Amino acid sequence: MKLTRRSVLAGTTAAAALPLVAVRSASAAAEPIRFGWLTALTGANSAPGIGFNRGVVYAVDKINAAGGVHGRKIEIITRDSQGDPAKAVNAAVDLASNAKVHAVFGPVNSGESLATTPIFTRFKIPSLGICVVDSLINPTKFPNAFRLSPDSSQWDDANRHYIMDILKAKKVAVLGDNTGYGTTATATSTAAFKKAGANVVYSAVIDANAQDVSPDLIHARDAGAEAIAVWSDSTGLDARLMNARGRLGWDVSMSGHPALGSGDVRHLLEKPEYWNKVYVVGYRSCSFDAAGKLPPKSAAFVKEVAGKVKLDDTLLWWVMAAVDAVTLVAEAVGKTGSSDPAPIIGYWNKLAKWEGLYGNYHFTPEEHNGYPTDEIVMSAANSSHDGAMNIAPGYA
Amino acid sequence: MVESILSYGLAMGAVYALMAVTYNVMFSTSRVFSFTAGALGMLGGVFGALFIGRLGLPSGVGFLLTLGCCALIGVVTEFVAVRPVLKSLDQHLYVLSTLALTLMIQQFTAIEWSTVPQPFPRVLPFDLFVRERFWMPVLACAVVVGGMEFLYRHSMVGRAFLAIAEDNFAARALGLPERGLRIGSYALAGMIGGLAGFTSGGILLAFFANVPTLNFYGFVPVALGGIGNNRGAVVAGLALGLFQQAANYLVGGVFASVAIFSVFIVALLAAPQGLFGAAPARRV
Repeated sequence: MKLTRRSVLAGTTAAAALPLVAVRSASAAAEPIRFGWLTALTGANSAPGIGFNRGVVYAVDKINAAGGVHGRKIEIITRDSQGDPAKAVNAAVDLASNAKVHAVFGPVNSGESLATTPIFTRFKIPSLGICVVDSLINPTKFPNAFRLSPDSSQWDDANRHYIMDILKAKKVAVLGDNTGYGTTATATSTAAFKKAGANVVYSAVIDANAQDVSPDLIHARDAGAEAIAVWSDSTGLDARLMNARGRLGWDVSMSGHPALGSGDVRHLLEKPEYWNKVYVVGYRSCSFDAAGKLPPKSAAFVKEVAGKVKLDDTLLWWVMAAVDAVTLVAEAVGKTGSSDPAPIIGYWNKLAKWEGLYGNYHFTPEEHNGYPTDEIVMSAANSSHDGAMNIAPGYA
Repeated sequence: MVESILSYGLAMGAVYALMAVTYNVMFSTSRVFSFTAGALGMLGGVFGALFIGRLGLPSGVGFLLTLGCCALIGVVTEFVAVRPVLKSLDQHLYVLSTLALTLMIQQFTAIEWSTVPQPFPRVLPFDLFVRERFWMPVLACAVVVGGMEFLYRHSMVGRAFLAIAEDNFAARALGLPERGLRIGSYALAGMIGGLAGFTSGGILLAFFANVPTLNFYGFVPVALGGIGNNRGAVVAGLALGLFQQAANYLVGGVFASVAIFSVFIVALLAAPQGLFGAAPARRV
């Protein structure tokens, strides 16, 4: 080989750069895994965020206490959106471009997620979502976005299955509030009931602040409804519906949105018995069976976090889903040895029945809705304790 | 059905009428439509639930404290959102300033109180034929309207209010303490708004998001009854409540609101000055 001035210069430069590369890869190995956590922690709609946050903090502390992921600690970089989509957009850009997070969890509110999902896609940040709006997951459009919770169709499927197959109701009323979610959910649910062969005898969208809802219940009763599907996260409306049903002395089952089982509803009921025969969307992993026991894995978790994570004022599934989100990120980095987007997304794309705390997720490159429908069950609304509820009567 | 229409309709009608009187009292001394009226109504429910339900104070004490706090908020409105824009009333900047203050009050309540409706405690240990949630707003409305009639027609202070409402500059030239009277009227409006929220707490609950409902529906009797006309506001408010409840039964769901505002628009097209208001004199 002919020794030229150019080759000597190139060789010298390469030799000089080698230590730099080594230093850089060493620092990459010691570099913390930056876990972006975007949610509403204050203001309106902050209750879920506070619950999820307990799971995030617990899981990260546990992994870090055990030495991290191949020696790399996980650093939580939290941004509080205050439930405002505009603030969520700013926070998403900040997480992606300034904080340079390796993966992100949240937001936990559909309105915010609709605004932030395209941003995380643009920055190619692997993201785990927990919102139910169907359009948030689209592997072609958002190849980086994965959903840990069911989507709204799965909620509707579970509720319809319970009303038609377990309660054996054929004449159904569908009620929702006049928010964007309530209006859409009412229309979708009504159409799905009709398609499944049920007779929807009354379907209405009610003002979320309506003071007297007895007219709608009287319409439903007079039309012969045997069960009522309710899609509203307004606890005021939910409680008013139950109070009106109780005052009418109508012994009809109501089932639907998880907010029907919120602790806030309890204080608004005129009589505690008005909460009977109300069923909410729940999950097998977070439901007590007829013997009052949680599934073994969930029971072990509740025991493990006793005294460390407060569960009595939140929902168990919020905490457990957040633990799953942290674990999924940590495992992807651990198994692939990289915190770059492509390996993490590639790892998640190949997860077949990944057994988490909240659910057993299944992802493929074509399907980023990971939560299995058969793990969604209805729960008795008035049975909440330790953040979990009793499974509704009728399930095997 | 008729019982429900009458009980809810009259109770909510009385609340709307009280909100209209709140608007009118603030307007009378400042020519400003203060959108803090809805916030005062909302705070009446929240303060009542706080003092009686959460702090466990006796109902009478909680009631007086609620009125006092709402009067204070009324005075703050005058200082913060009304006084700075009085010099440019023709630019209608008060819409922005009073709405901004309303939003601040609403958000602060959401953060400090609750983002979900909270129960309103029972005020009295007995009911008068119907539950207290239905008769209290109607009684409050009757007392307020009677009191306002007495104030305006049989007291010097009330006549001074009317003088300022009629001609601000002339009233000042006569030596009336215009500023003090305006502050007094905002305190009074605060109490009336708070009374509306307190007496309807059993129906509306203690909820920060009641503000738009009270602002919106409370303004309808103002427009229908004629601006500044309390008697017209009461008639229009009660009619609105009854019509709203009847529409709930007849058309159901959100279409009841559509029915209400359709009738409202038709009524205003037929009588732009309000059904009980006099047509304004036009200078030629």
